[in-house]
Amino acid sequence: MMTKRKLIKNRVPTPERPAYERIKSFEEVNLGYDFDLALMEAERCLQCPEDYAPCIKGCPVNINIPGFLAKLKEHRDNPYLAVKEALRIIWACNSLPAITGRVCPQEDQCEGVCVMGKIGDAINIGKLERFIADYAREKGIDDELLMEIIPKIENKEQKIAVVGAGPAGLTCAAELAKMGYNVTVFEALHYPGGVLVYGIPEFRLPKEIVKKELKKLELLGVEIKTDHIVGRTVTIPELIEEYDAVFISTGAGTPKLPEVPGINLNGIYSANEFLTRVNLMKAYKFPEYDTPIKVGKKTIVIGAGNTAMDAARTALRLGSEVTIAYRRGEEDMTARIEEIEHAKEEGVKFMFFVNPIEFIGDEEGNVKAVKFMKMKPLDEKDSRGKRKIVPTGETITVEADTVVIAIGQVPNKIIWKTTPGLKVAENGTIVVDEKLMTSIPGVFAGGDAIRGEATVILAMGDGRKAAKAIHEYLQLRDKFISPNEKS
Amino acid sequence: MSTCTEVFIVYKILERKEIAMRNVWFKVHAPHVVKMLQPGQFVIVRAFENGERIPLTPVMWDKEEGWIGLIVFTRGKTTMQMNTELKEGDYFLNIAGPLGNPAPMRKYGKILAIGLYTGIVEVFPIAKAWQEIGNKVHTLQVTFEPMIILKDELEKAVSKHTAVGVPIDSEKSFPENMKNVTARAREVVRAMIKELKPDLVFMVGPVGDQKAIFKVVKEFNVPMLVDLHPIMVDGTGMCGACRVTVGGKVRFACVDGPTFNAYEVDFDELIKRSGYYRDLEMRAMQEYMQKLQGGAQ
Repeated sequence: MMTKRKLIKNRVPTPERPAYERIKSFEEVNLGYDFDLALMEAERCLQCPEDYAPCIKGCPVNINIPGFLAKLKEHRDNPYLAVKEALRIIWACNSLPAITGRVCPQEDQCEGVCVMGKIGDAINIGKLERFIADYAREKGIDDELLMEIIPKIENKEQKIAVVGAGPAGLTCAAELAKMGYNVTVFEALHYPGGVLVYGIPEFRLPKEIVKKELKKLELLGVEIKTDHIVGRTVTIPELIEEYDAVFISTGAGTPKLPEVPGINLNGIYSANEFLTRVNLMKAYKFPEYDTPIKVGKKTIVIGAGNTAMDAARTALRLGSEVTIAYRRGEEDMTARIEEIEHAKEEGVKFMFFVNPIEFIGDEEGNVKAVKFMKMKPLDEKDSRGKRKIVPTGETITVEADTVVIAIGQVPNKIIWKTTPGLKVAENGTIVVDEKLMTSIPGVFAGGDAIRGEATVILAMGDGRKAAKAIHEYLQLRDKFISPNEKS
Repeated sequence: MSTCTEVFIVYKILERKEIAMRNVWFKVHAPHVVKMLQPGQFVIVRAFENGERIPLTPVMWDKEEGWIGLIVFTRGKTTMQMNTELKEGDYFLNIAGPLGNPAPMRKYGKILAIGLYTGIVEVFPIAKAWQEIGNKVHTLQVTFEPMIILKDELEKAVSKHTAVGVPIDSEKSFPENMKNVTARAREVVRAMIKELKPDLVFMVGPVGDQKAIFKVVKEFNVPMLVDLHPIMVDGTGMCGACRVTVGGKVRFACVDGPTFNAYEVDFDELIKRSGYYRDLEMRAMQEYMQKLQGGAQ
């Protein structure tokens, strides 16, 4: 007979570094669960059946969430085994849980539809996913699991080129390598990881975690060529000649900048430049590291997505007062709730319904103020379901000696400029079919390169989907082409 | 199962030679960079673990042997460290490229191609290529006397080469001395335009000098191209640090340039942007020099 369990409405909280302490350091803010806390939180899960569970459907890569939580409970007396079995389930759909556990917008996905969320707090799925990944990494469970997989891989002849070593590319490479393909990843920067290393700050995603994931790829035999700008160093047509298939995952790397007077004043950074200087080039350790950064006393960050929060909290840690200025309202902010909360706790201020119309500089060409148009919302909603906004005609000027523009990115044009026949939409995104194949047979694309700007998890989902599609494509191709016809 | 790892391309220094005061020649193994490299394009170099990514323009290269030649001018901490510490047989950590657009290869007729200081490094491959496709190219380097470089190479490569060396006045500060170079360059360029009547002037050098020379060229209404080198971080169009205003529009020098029509460039803005980190650059250099002196004791 089933024993009746009492529902626990409230989440088991995760320990966090206190705000006063963390604004002085780049160390990770959230400290995560230990096994006992994780188990307590997992106990709250109602264990919806797999074919019903809303969380599985809410997850872009459909992780069997009740399944991995059940493993924690099932092997509660043996944490090592519990985590290993839980990780095995996660890995079936997601090879980078330490990252997604930290950066996914869970409130809009798995946690947003959790049945417990209707009664009390949703299960803290993100932190549980992260716990399993972290515990596995610390105890070497992930290596052990990988070593179980590797000997079973049947090596194949075919070679696949992956362009861009960000979340989409790394996921695709890992999946293809597990199927036995020879994978080479081409990366423009000097270190692989894409947005995970140049964009997301250390206090949100420690770089050690990315390093560990890269180590896994190494064990799977994936080759990563850094310093290769595809389109310049080597072109897609050349890759098509040399490889059996190509996956383009070049992301959305070109910053959007508002076309207003004064945009080129000193002290105005794109979020990409600001974060790249700090994260990838470690400018916060200048002069120990050579790359400098200048952050003044008053920083204004324009935009309210995750990148804006990252930039704001980075500027704060570099000693500045920070205000986020957003043209819409508080409820329209696109960042993860956790990031907004952390920013507020740390002392970031917010201005809503303001849109920059001019950057004002001093004689030396340094920014000293931002002139905003005040906006107001209408009842009418736009295509994205957000309230439309219109200018009020009233302006406000706010002092600032540093400005970070975080209003979004568009795909880099180097790839399509150098790839004849590659169909590209007006906004610069690569056009693909439902199997993620581009207008060129054998060339696939995914992540922000096809989406404009989306999330790490959607990029990883594309990487996985593309790996499957590439596998099917090659099987089909090789069925119809006899071996002697192949070059 | 191969245990292939991250491929470390070996950027071995095959040759290292101090060719003039503060100018060091590095011949570096970089086969993947050289494959598609064309005159006008640059590379991003990272030499040390804690180092910056800096743009440099290869002066010559060999596609078959797979090497590029760099002439590094000591101008800040990173370049000083490169020129002090890197020896033959050592390695650069990273060289990415080619980046930027190739220089426009057209028949202009008579071209005056000017390089101030180490700007001549960038002029060299472009001038040579222009000459090869049938232009009559006259090159000019104006610099301090002990910093004249590439004289023999240019004399062989183009119709005529002029090297003007301005003596260093040790009584005066370095910025004061640089003013002499600018003044001399203006004089020489003015005379050469009168004599040569070029169809095109091309110039590479510090942005302040580009502005000064442009003013001279403009008097004669001669078309002029400049290669711009603002501060860069990634060099691939990702960060926008290198943005410049050209023809009233914001352009990224790394992906839209580096060659632009001088008549459209907002030089004043670029001069200000180029100086933004000067205090920090000085600090880094002073600390490095102190370290060097400390190490020597």
